[in-house]
Amino acid sequence: MSAEDTKKSLDKRMSLKEAVSKFVFDGCAIAFSGMGGQQVVAPTYEIVRQGQKNLTLMGDSPCEVGDYLVGTGQIKRLEVAWLAFAVAGVSPNYRRAVEKGIPQKIEVCEFSNYTMGLRFLAGALNVPFMPTKSLMGSSLEQYNDMIKVIDDPYKGEKVALVPAAIPDVAIVHVNRADKLGNAQFLGFASNADNIARAAKRTIITCEEIVSTDEIRKIPVLTNIPQYVVDAVVEVPYGSHPWNMSYAYAYDMPFHMGMMAEIETEEGFKKWLDEWAFGCKDHEDYCEKVGWNRLRKLTQIERKFCKSIV
Amino acid sequence: MKSKEKEYAEDYTLQELLVVSAAREIRDREVAFIGVGIPLLGALVAKLTHAPDVILTVESGCIGPTPYRLMLGIGDNSCGENAICVSPLWRAFSDQQRGYFDLGMLGGAQVDKYGNLNSTAIFAGGDYHTPRTRLPGSGGANDIAVSAKRTLIMMNQQKRRFLEKVDYNTSPGYLDGPGSREKYGFPGNGPAVIISNMAIFRFDETTKEAYLDSVHPGVSADDVRKEVTWDLKVSPDLKTTEPPTKEQVKIIRILDSQQIYTGGGLKKLTFDAYIKMLDSSYEQLKSMFA
Repeated sequence: MSAEDTKKSLDKRMSLKEAVSKFVFDGCAIAFSGMGGQQVVAPTYEIVRQGQKNLTLMGDSPCEVGDYLVGTGQIKRLEVAWLAFAVAGVSPNYRRAVEKGIPQKIEVCEFSNYTMGLRFLAGALNVPFMPTKSLMGSSLEQYNDMIKVIDDPYKGEKVALVPAAIPDVAIVHVNRADKLGNAQFLGFASNADNIARAAKRTIITCEEIVSTDEIRKIPVLTNIPQYVVDAVVEVPYGSHPWNMSYAYAYDMPFHMGMMAEIETEEGFKKWLDEWAFGCKDHEDYCEKVGWNRLRKLTQIERKFCKSIV
Repeated sequence: MKSKEKEYAEDYTLQELLVVSAAREIRDREVAFIGVGIPLLGALVAKLTHAPDVILTVESGCIGPTPYRLMLGIGDNSCGENAICVSPLWRAFSDQQRGYFDLGMLGGAQVDKYGNLNSTAIFAGGDYHTPRTRLPGSGGANDIAVSAKRTLIMMNQQKRRFLEKVDYNTSPGYLDGPGSREKYGFPGNGPAVIISNMAIFRFDETTKEAYLDSVHPGVSADDVRKEVTWDLKVSPDLKTTEPPTKEQVKIIRILDSQQIYTGGGLKKLTFDAYIKMLDSSYEQLKSMFA
């Protein structure tokens, strides 16, 4: 089916398994939403299960999706600003790949968060590049041929250019969406609105599928309209152990447990055997984490942030 | 908040001194771009004490939160809690490039005398493509270093980290010295201060070199010199870093009761203790902010 056909579908709902197998292919360039929190974790596990290879990851600051898919050898090239686990720690698989070539050497092409944001903005604007004052004079400029410093044709001052990023597929995790793909964040969207628009195919995963009437109540919340979207998947707790605004708090103790496990190559394999291959799907994963634990994360979050929807 | 005589704490840790030193660099009504770790805690301490109208901003695009809990990252839900604005990432960084952000906070594995920072890779015999230690990378640090009006740098004081020249310049300070930033027309003015676990450094207006401005209690200028590679200049009126007040220490211990940023609490954190920490900080901070 052509992109035009899937984007015009009036019911884009499907399973995560189906969406990933349909749109994520060997050799594709892929991008994900999330910044600090709201990471796209459940789809990462599904990509690990399905094993698509030779991926180029385009992102600002990926966590699981960068570290895991480097560790499984599924990523061959990174175009990112940063890769780690924030307060939880550094990225062991990324370190192994760059420092020791385990499981394989990867190409790394580095930008900053802002300039990756500008690359997705250029992609979304359908223009070839964006200018910025960032990057100039730094080692990022020195080591990355994709960054060009030119004299501004109007005033003659120096300016850096970064090229448009156009992923083959984007996976964006939002609070709620309807079956047509109208997607609403209740908290921050980071670069997601541009990532979704720049990509050729866009999968929306959401905490909750709601009716279109519900979307129409507060249309200003719709960051991504249906004509951008190819698939809609309901994935509650899809960012666990990360937080999702207005939905659940960060499961920091779980994350620290994971960090301790994946520190070694063997530990990482064991972790995936348990949490990726040992679960047939995301519901299985939630079952294993424990619904009671997940509910507690929701309850505590509601205390801090009361949603208007 | 209060103009009464400062009551200094007698019992405080080095980590708490660092938090407070970072907090003191934040002025009221400023827009401050805050990074993960001690800066996030320092920023909240500032907001609860001398800078109630500071606008905290983080990389996820959340602007002006008043959270009733410790901020566990730049995309934690707390960043959007009671916020005045939640914008896309590129928009928040554009506001910074436009010149709206007064202060940015940075950290790294290496710093040099011109305040250039490396958070990308330690070469140590290798090179960029095969370094001894691969680090996370820029994130938003390069953008903050270029465009925030002034920056604060937090560092661990070690000889191998305070260098004549960094292996990889992730975030430009004064680059090669006077006049370098002007060559590129950077919107920001560059680094103003380095806070380490031993001392506070500021930058000479003419040479753009970092000099020793203040040593933490119990540390001498010679102790610091031993942990710096370049020929470190010392301020003629070298100060001793101001200790935290009782009020500041009290607030730190409410915010970080599990010592996530101020001790080794992170690795021991149980789920129940974590939920309890969130719950009690909600109750206590709500009354303090209100």
